[in-house]
Amino acid sequence: MSLTFAQFVFAYLALASVASALLAVTRRNPVHSMLWVLSLFMHVAGIFLLLNAEFLAAVQVIIYAGAILIFYLFVVMLLNLPDEEARPRFGRHWPFAALVGLSFAALAWLARTDVALPPAVEAAEREGPPLGSVAGLGEGLFGPFALPFEIASLVLLAAIVGAVVLARKRGEKR
Amino acid sequence: MIVSVDWVLGLSAILFGIGAFGFLARRNIILMLVSIEVMLNAVNLSLVGFSRHLDEPTGQILALFVIAVAAAEAGVGLGLVIALNRNKPGAAVADLTGLKW
Repeated sequence: MSLTFAQFVFAYLALASVASALLAVTRRNPVHSMLWVLSLFMHVAGIFLLLNAEFLAAVQVIIYAGAILIFYLFVVMLLNLPDEEARPRFGRHWPFAALVGLSFAALAWLARTDVALPPAVEAAEREGPPLGSVAGLGEGLFGPFALPFEIASLVLLAAIVGAVVLARKRGEKR
Repeated sequence: MIVSVDWVLGLSAILFGIGAFGFLARRNIILMLVSIEVMLNAVNLSLVGFSRHLDEPTGQILALFVIAVAAAEAGVGLGLVIALNRNKPGAAVADLTGLKW
């Protein structure tokens, strides 16, 4: 089987994201970990592009890489973790953790091979806006998913209030 | 179909396994939270893979909700880390032995 260009690109993105994820969870310096997670997010955004999810790829870069990850980096730099370099990165139980990770991946794969998926649907067969376009996602968000969409805004509001309350100095009155 | 859904699901399973390992093995709370982000990304990947396979936008909409919840989780989680750090500097879970402070 000869690889098409898209499959070659997918193979690169998949290998790079696995390598970035592995480095992200094993680096000793937290800032290096964050930068490897950034690389993981960018490569996953590339995979989203290959899978016809253009809007999600943009959201992935803007929200995950742009907002969430910078937030993490701010907290790492704010906390100034001097002893992180000196202490062991993993608890003594890390072989068990590795076993859990491996067996989860293996079990997920076994579960997949047990299920017969319907054959892939080609994009030309459907009507309406193309998959992954802003129009297609918007029709879903304001149609059948309108209630979950509103609940998501409530969740975000609760998170904002919760973060402010938690991070406020203790005993500080207004 | 450019990329088979099996490849995407396999990659997603591997990434989720790496995230689970990181969450269980790291001793720093911030890096545990980052491992959760890796796991959430793996889930998004499989949702988008199924969305492409079935040519249905529902998977991508669910992935959007996952991203919204991840943002909320990061905000609350890091607020907790800052509050914990104020009482006990450093962010190692092994130091958090008291039920009250």
